[in-house]
Order: sequence, then structure tokens, then C-alpha cells
Amino acid sequence: MKQIKINLVKLLKGYKPGWVGISPDFKKVLVWGKTLDHATQKARKIKEKVYYFPAGESYSNFVGITFYGNNNRL
Amino acid sequence: MGIIIDYSPLPGLEKTGVLAPMIPVTFKHGRYEFSTIALVDSGAEAGIISTVIADKLNIKWRKIPAKSGFSIGSNFLFHPVNITSTIFDHNFTLKINVVEGIFAFKCILGRRDLFKRAKICFEGYKNQFEVIFRELN
Repeated sequence: MKQIKINLVKLLKGYKPGWVGISPDFKKVLVWGKTLDHATQKARKIKEKVYYFPAGESYSNFVGITFYGNNNRL
Repeated sequence: MGIIIDYSPLPGLEKTGVLAPMIPVTFKHGRYEFSTIALVDSGAEAGIISTVIADKLNIKWRKIPAKSGFSIGSNFLFHPVNITSTIFDHNFTLKINVVEGIFAFKCILGRRDLFKRAKICFEGYKNQFEVIFRELN
């Protein structure tokens, strides 16, 4: 059975706000750009599939999981 | 055969132990293609993408009449559009909503799209979920 691991904390650590392009095995960041356009332009020469994801976002206020946050207990 | 995906930790929530089910997806709209990692949300009726992703797919979402939706905390405007998606080599057309002004997650797949195409088995005690696509001939 195929198993996939995606660790967004590990992947996005150290990246400033913008967008990253992630390798198809989800193990490394291939490109970073201040905007999605910048990131896709940088990835033009990469032949493998690139998965884009926003960097520098905090998910602590996302409504589906807010209740678990340290400052948002019910 | 199913594919198992480990839940991912999320930036900003490292100390809480909160993990999220995330799935790689590729969208196609005409000759434009965009791959990202989406949140799998069993509480969402329909899938959404941000306007930034819609622009990348060359979706003229401003020309699609806006509808009003609501979530638990607020209302939002969205523009429904049909696009093709690929998840683990499974291709299907889905109606996704381009939502204005969303932050954090830029792409969410919900019950009307992914859940109608595949059996999704959440195993929170293992911090993983399994996706088993239906075989449609």
C-alpha cells in the first residue's frame, strides 16, 4: 500500500511569506517566490511536477481548528 | 487499492499537536495547470480555491456572477466554475468555488467533490487517512 508523508511545518520552516514550490515526493522545497507568479516563474525550468503552497501563513486562527489553539480555548 | 496519507502538522500550531489531512491535487482549466496541496474537509459541502489560484488557472472568475455563501464565522462571495482535477492519477471534473478574500488554506476539497469520488477513511488514532477511489467504468 502506498503511503505519503507531507510535513508542512518541516517544509515551510524558514521561508518568508510568499509561495513555495514543493517536490513531487513532498520532501523538499524547490523554489520560493514573494508571489505565486514569482514562484511559478522560477519553477519554469523544473521538469518534475511542482506543488505550490503558501509560505509564511499561520493556521492558528483557522476556524476548523481554532478551538485547539493555546489562546482560543472555549 | 488505497493510498494512506499521514496528517500534516501546520505552521502556527506546532505546539498544539493539531494535525490536518492534506492531499496533493492538480487542477486543469483549458491549457492551464496548477498543482497544490489541499485540505480534505469533511465539513465542507463544496471545494474552494482562492482567487490567486483561479488567476493561475486563467479562470475569468470576475465574469462569473458572484454568489453569497457562509461559514461558521462570516459570509463570503464565491464564483462557481467547472474544472478538471487529478488526484493520484484519477481524473474527474468538479465544480469548485473561487472564493474572494480567503486566507490560510487556499484550497479545500469537500464532500461534493472528493468524497463522491473516493472513500475517505479518517484514522485519527493513527494520524492518517486513507483514500480509496471508486472504480467507475
